[in-house]
Amino acid sequence: MVYPGSFKKLVEVLCRFPGVGPKTAQRLAFYLLGLSRDDVVAIARAMVEAKDKLGFCPLCGCLSELDSCSYCNDAGRDQSILLIVQEARDVLVMERTGQYRGLYHVLHGALSPLDGIGPEELKLDRLEKRIAEKEVSEVIIATNPNVEGDATAGYLARLLKPYSVRVTRIAFGLPVGGDIEYADDLTLSRALDGRREM
Amino acid sequence: MFYLEGLHLKGFRNYHNQQLHFHPRLNLVIGENAQGKTNLLESIYYLSVTRSFRTNRDNELANFEDRYFYVKGNFVKDDFKHIIQLSYRLNEQLKVSVNRKQEDRFAHLQHFPVIVFSPDDLQIIKDGPAIRRRFLNLEGSRLNPLYFEDLKNYQRSLMQRNYLLKEKRNHLKIREYLEPWDYKLAELGSSIINSRLILIKALEKEARLFFDRMTGSLEELTLRYSSTVDFNNNPETTRNNFLNALSKKRDVELKKGSTMIGPHLDDLKVMINGFDSRRFSSQGQKRTAALALKMAEVSLFKLRNDESPIILLDDVFSEFDNSRKMHLLEFLKETAGQCFISTATGLNGLVENLQSDYKIITVRYGRAFDETDRFGA
Repeated sequence: MVYPGSFKKLVEVLCRFPGVGPKTAQRLAFYLLGLSRDDVVAIARAMVEAKDKLGFCPLCGCLSELDSCSYCNDAGRDQSILLIVQEARDVLVMERTGQYRGLYHVLHGALSPLDGIGPEELKLDRLEKRIAEKEVSEVIIATNPNVEGDATAGYLARLLKPYSVRVTRIAFGLPVGGDIEYADDLTLSRALDGRREM
Repeated sequence: MFYLEGLHLKGFRNYHNQQLHFHPRLNLVIGENAQGKTNLLESIYYLSVTRSFRTNRDNELANFEDRYFYVKGNFVKDDFKHIIQLSYRLNEQLKVSVNRKQEDRFAHLQHFPVIVFSPDDLQIIKDGPAIRRRFLNLEGSRLNPLYFEDLKNYQRSLMQRNYLLKEKRNHLKIREYLEPWDYKLAELGSSIINSRLILIKALEKEARLFFDRMTGSLEELTLRYSSTVDFNNNPETTRNNFLNALSKKRDVELKKGSTMIGPHLDDLKVMINGFDSRRFSSQGQKRTAALALKMAEVSLFKLRNDESPIILLDDVFSEFDNSRKMHLLEFLKETAGQCFISTATGLNGLVENLQSDYKIITVRYGRAFDETDRFGA
């Protein structure tokens, strides 16, 4: 296929985006060409600006503006509860619930020797320091419900034992608004295990 | 009641065009070697599982010249008739239709259960522990979907742990790295062991019923779980023992670079009169023990589904003496649903003694003949 030079370059760049293949890339490229110059510049600016101004908070690991973390510096949040998640994007999901008003701690991964991730890569000393220094009374572990997430949760629970904080893990179970009839066997048995008194 | 009423084969193995009707209980397929007895049983298995118990390649099933095959079965299940049609053409996907409606090959599985026992099944007694672990895993997963999940997660944890033992063995903090994986392995491993113990107890009960019958209670069959972990009926205790064993073996494991404790190394010991049948038993005893395990599988299936699967016994008679042959036929008559038994040796009047309904089909040169039709003779 013969592409004009800069078009080819654009398609190749767009191809690098996750989930974008050559066909989608070509479509996006045509879309960009159809926009006014100002609009294209605005898009490019937004990218550069995001790259320049955003980063991970050195304290909690959340995605934040470089100068101030919108979670750590929010006085309205309950400073005594800490929710531990694997990825920064998990924080956004938790925030969407509007339920949780405590602080976060992002591990940026889970224990997985095959991927080269051990306790050091998760920078757990940072978490320990945080718990030791601040008045944290409860730590909620919300790692993924798979082998690596479970191993990480177990490890954290044992690590935090000396700190006299309450360590909990979020419940597994049925999706809200669904029918029990349609739940898979596994989810249902996990939900049974995690039943609670009324 | 669940059984195969009729069968139509075209171009399947050495059958060109064959139609047959079966007895709802006992069907004896008799013929010399290499005439097509096993092919007939194979086609019945194929109708249910869309896979052969002899090969993984569909094209081997097609007749040499025709390069296509067609298998049609009329099943009766809960008073309803079901027509299963399978057709295969070289280099095309197998077409499966159920009651004249096209269906996915894998969605079709398990709806018309058939269980086969062939001479190869002797391996479950003769071979190394891996084949018996596979048997436990398969039966365990059927009994309880959580077992399969535990197994999958156990294997994943094992991979993680083995990677550390192998690649990071000289790392200063290796012991700290191993800690979370020790816990995960012990937790999942003890859960697997516990499920296996429950399964083995159920299997043993059913297998003994059959074995006692076959041997006239002169021999005793026991199933024993042999583990690298000091297990207990309490999963919590097993888990703690597992953890202790891991820490005891730490140095050896680091030297070897792999995990040396856990259900992935365990075995199911099939004992006859207290001796391991793998080493100390005759060919006939091995065959009886292997068949007992298979019959236990059938019984558990029946308990779960409230319905007997169709049983195919390919050439099981050859190593049994007359009394065992007789006991087998009686056992099947009393407990099983529909059975197909292939044999090359004559039955020496065994069947007549049964005084039961049955049908004899003889097979010669890829053609099957309906010899008797003795309904309640």
